[in-house]
Amino acid sequence: MTKTGMTKTGMIDFRGVNKWFGSLNVLKDITLSVEPKEVVVVCGPSGSGKSTLIRCVNGLEAIKDGDLVVDGQRLGDPATNMTQLRTEIGFVFQSFNLYPHKTALENVTLAPIHVRKIPRAEAEKAGRELLAKVGLADKVNAYPAQLSGGQQQRVAIARCLGMRPKIMLFDEPTSALDPEMISEVLDVMVAVAEEGMTMMVVTHEMGFARKVAQRVVFMDAGAIVESGTPEEFFSHPKTDRSRAFLSKILRH
Amino acid sequence: MIWQQLQSLAGSYPLALRGLGMTVVLSLISLVLGTLLGFGLGILRTGGNRLISGLIGAWVDLIRGTPFLVQIFLIFFILPEFGIELDAFTAGIIALTNLAACFICEIVVAGIRSVPTGQVEAALASGLSRWQRMRQVVLPQAMRIVLPPLVGQYVLLIKDSSVVSAIGLTDLTRVGWLVVQRVPNGLLVFFLVGVGYFIVCYPLIMLARRLERRMGAAHGEVQL
Repeated sequence: MTKTGMTKTGMIDFRGVNKWFGSLNVLKDITLSVEPKEVVVVCGPSGSGKSTLIRCVNGLEAIKDGDLVVDGQRLGDPATNMTQLRTEIGFVFQSFNLYPHKTALENVTLAPIHVRKIPRAEAEKAGRELLAKVGLADKVNAYPAQLSGGQQQRVAIARCLGMRPKIMLFDEPTSALDPEMISEVLDVMVAVAEEGMTMMVVTHEMGFARKVAQRVVFMDAGAIVESGTPEEFFSHPKTDRSRAFLSKILRH
Repeated sequence: MIWQQLQSLAGSYPLALRGLGMTVVLSLISLVLGTLLGFGLGILRTGGNRLISGLIGAWVDLIRGTPFLVQIFLIFFILPEFGIELDAFTAGIIALTNLAACFICEIVVAGIRSVPTGQVEAALASGLSRWQRMRQVVLPQAMRIVLPPLVGQYVLLIKDSSVVSAIGLTDLTRVGWLVVQRVPNGLLVFFLVGVGYFIVCYPLIMLARRLERRMGAAHGEVQL
């Protein structure tokens, strides 16, 4: 977590990034640097641009202006091979997006076999180990429709890990889950974080933020309003907007 | 009198078999080629290139918006004017393949568009190439939507193949016209022609119905 004087060491570097949906400025002058192995939690009210922010990192959304450099490669640069870069970035969706026609194991091994060109037997062995790691050793041959939401999301995380990514992005990974399933997914995410993964996590799970995040970024109306350690942010929010937001989500 | 006509008809059965064979061969070749071409067009139509997509869209609309008989005449009678001589069989195959491809293209496009965006995003995020996304993620899911109407379309195309009799191909319908000149009982002759088509089409109708039921049942299990 060091910054040398001359060069940025950030794994993900937003420099003055702007994005519009029509006339709506969904990302306003975003400048944010995520260091290797850092875990950054992004929170903020609905519509504040937090999902858009992380969707830009793997190019699911294009930025309008500013620079976004991921793993040393500038997005939008013709020299950047986006497909190649995406293999280094895992993305976990709110709605899981598992392939419904493939088993849990096939979901995990698809990209390693077809993109990484790992031999099938080897990929399946690694896939079984990953599913065991997320606590689903007995669901290897189950189809997504046969799994609970929490189980599906754990398969989705294993699917990302199968590519051995350098970065993992989580877009509200527990928002679509029944309350009793949230902790099983968070536990897996904590384990991934503790292994030194660079992570950006859009979530309102403050327990998770306190446990593993080095930094909490608070967004509102497309801009980063506040950024600090979880301790600072939760105990001493600096702005009215973050205080208002925290009072809403911490009330219950 | 009806007895004599039936005897006379029985004598025509080699001709009838030839006609049935022609209808089956023509349909089979056109449907196989048309399916391949239709999937290709459907995939290109939903691809990123606006020009290609627009051209395919215009062609499909043109073919769907003109009578098949006119298309066959254009291919068989007009192309020779430009130096492209085709025998009736080749012209029939080209016309029917083109028609099949256009209808199947529309079915495939609807199937591809029915796959939720999240599926494509997941495939994109894990670094799958365009073709891999199509082959591994989109098409298998689109097939659930595509299969029942595809088989239904086959039935329509087999029946449309009767139009090739207009350029002199001795298919089942033309056999009907030939026989009716010897046996002046149009009702009987064309009733039998109809039975011939029905025998070819009915298994497909049953298949389409079964697929529809199976896909419908499977759909309940899958939550996307």
